[in-house]
Amino acid sequence: MTRLIKIYLVSLKNSFAARMAYRGDFFLCCVLILVSEMLVPLLTMLIYSTGASFPGWNLAEVMVLQGVFMLARGTANLLFFGIVYNTLSHVREGTYDLFMIKPVSVLFISIASGFEPDSIGTIAGGLLVTAVSAGQLQPPDGADILRFLLIFAFSLLILFSFAVLMSATVFKWVGNSRIYEIFDSITSFGNYPLTIFGRTFRIIISYIIPVSVIAFYPASALLGKDISGFVPAIPVCVLFLILSLGVWKLMLSKYTSAGG
Amino acid sequence: MSRPEAAEKVIKQIRVMKAVAFATYKEWAAYRTHAMVSIFVGPVYFLVQYFIWNAVYAAKGSINGLTLEQMMRYFGTAALINYLIMDFADWNLQMLIHTGKYLTYMLRPMSHIYFALSQKVGHRILGFIFEFVPVFLIFAFVFRIPLIPANIGYAAVSVLLGFMMMFLVDYCVGVTAFWLTRASGIRRMFLLLRDICSGVYLPLSFFPGTVQKVMFVLPFQFISYVPARVCTGTYELAGIVLGIPQIVGIQALAVAAMLLFTVLFSRLGNRRFTGVGA
Repeated sequence: MTRLIKIYLVSLKNSFAARMAYRGDFFLCCVLILVSEMLVPLLTMLIYSTGASFPGWNLAEVMVLQGVFMLARGTANLLFFGIVYNTLSHVREGTYDLFMIKPVSVLFISIASGFEPDSIGTIAGGLLVTAVSAGQLQPPDGADILRFLLIFAFSLLILFSFAVLMSATVFKWVGNSRIYEIFDSITSFGNYPLTIFGRTFRIIISYIIPVSVIAFYPASALLGKDISGFVPAIPVCVLFLILSLGVWKLMLSKYTSAGG
Repeated sequence: MSRPEAAEKVIKQIRVMKAVAFATYKEWAAYRTHAMVSIFVGPVYFLVQYFIWNAVYAAKGSINGLTLEQMMRYFGTAALINYLIMDFADWNLQMLIHTGKYLTYMLRPMSHIYFALSQKVGHRILGFIFEFVPVFLIFAFVFRIPLIPANIGYAAVSVLLGFMMMFLVDYCVGVTAFWLTRASGIRRMFLLLRDICSGVYLPLSFFPGTVQKVMFVLPFQFISYVPARVCTGTYELAGIVLGIPQIVGIQALAVAAMLLFTVLFSRLGNRRFTGVGA
């Protein structure tokens, strides 16, 4: 384990060093990511400014939800989502073999070398939106924060599973850079309260593709709202992870080294 | 230049465009499944909008003068127009400058702007077949959105002008790489600004009055907002209500002005090119 942590830290240092070769661009990117991440909250504010609203949620509450969504995405991007780009580009080039000959798990080294420093902008944005909006509401108590942290861990688990699934598909679907768009479109449901969706759809995004675990349930916990729907989603999250790891293993075995 | 010479020159340019467009079409057709991702992504995003606006309109019959049906029609039309005008001239030009490959284009007997425009034509023909048509059918028959424009002639002209405006704005963003070499940050900023100000995410009439006035004089509304409003049959921004022929006329003037600016800006950038890359 210590060895893996050391490898991860060295990879992290390398990623930072490589990114710092274009320092100006890095800082600009962080700021721009922060600005671009504000898009969904901005649109929500514009909707609420017309006097309209999402049923059962005031503006500050929706902002907390969208802030948590950004926070989860940012953390995932920083820590492990680089695996998708890593796999995508190396499989396309036919250089993924370089990961396979290293004396550590292929999955681990793909994650470790995919550290994305630019995501700091997203995390900052998420923290800012969540903190400012939560400040306008009744402060959460210790139990709410604990519940939030627990569910947030599941949120990262779901995003990790998505990342593994996406990178698994690019072994077969070589060079498909639009995989991100598929992911963004599916997870965009997670930016809004479950209450706006129809009953069937709520079941789909809670218990089949658990997108609602990314932000709706963590935000609900932080806001002291009902989270009873989260409990049945726990085994689904675990199954989703097992499925993604299984698919990864299967697709890795189909890697041909040929590029594309 | 005599008339036959001018005609010959135009025919030659059309032939060049046809050849480059065809080559681009063939090149990208190898990745047609990538284009077909839109058949999934487009309707999924639309479904999100469908739920959002159904929830929002549950308590209100009309918001900013738009009913739920008009709002859905706007989003459906804007999404489809995007498949026709989508562009990556900025990314391409930036990459060519960054790597120094732009040099090979300077040696060719045609301008890079025209080459890039021809590439876009080929790429979007592919987009029309593999993105526009299937998504149009899904919107029309699954979501039952009325998508036939109020005036097909003006709508076609407006979309064509939107196609040009999108290309010119993106090309100008790409030209900034002559000064910045690696301009991905600037690119992101402009693309975000472009998409917000062109009404991709929300009709521009939802923005505060002062912002709408600024947007009225910027070129971005002519990319997507104007074609979408022309297709839906009405135009209104910053309290200014215009007839369809008037706004399409203004759009044509804006495209002409942008073309002039792009050519001048590009010439200025070319002078800075060292051919080395970075």
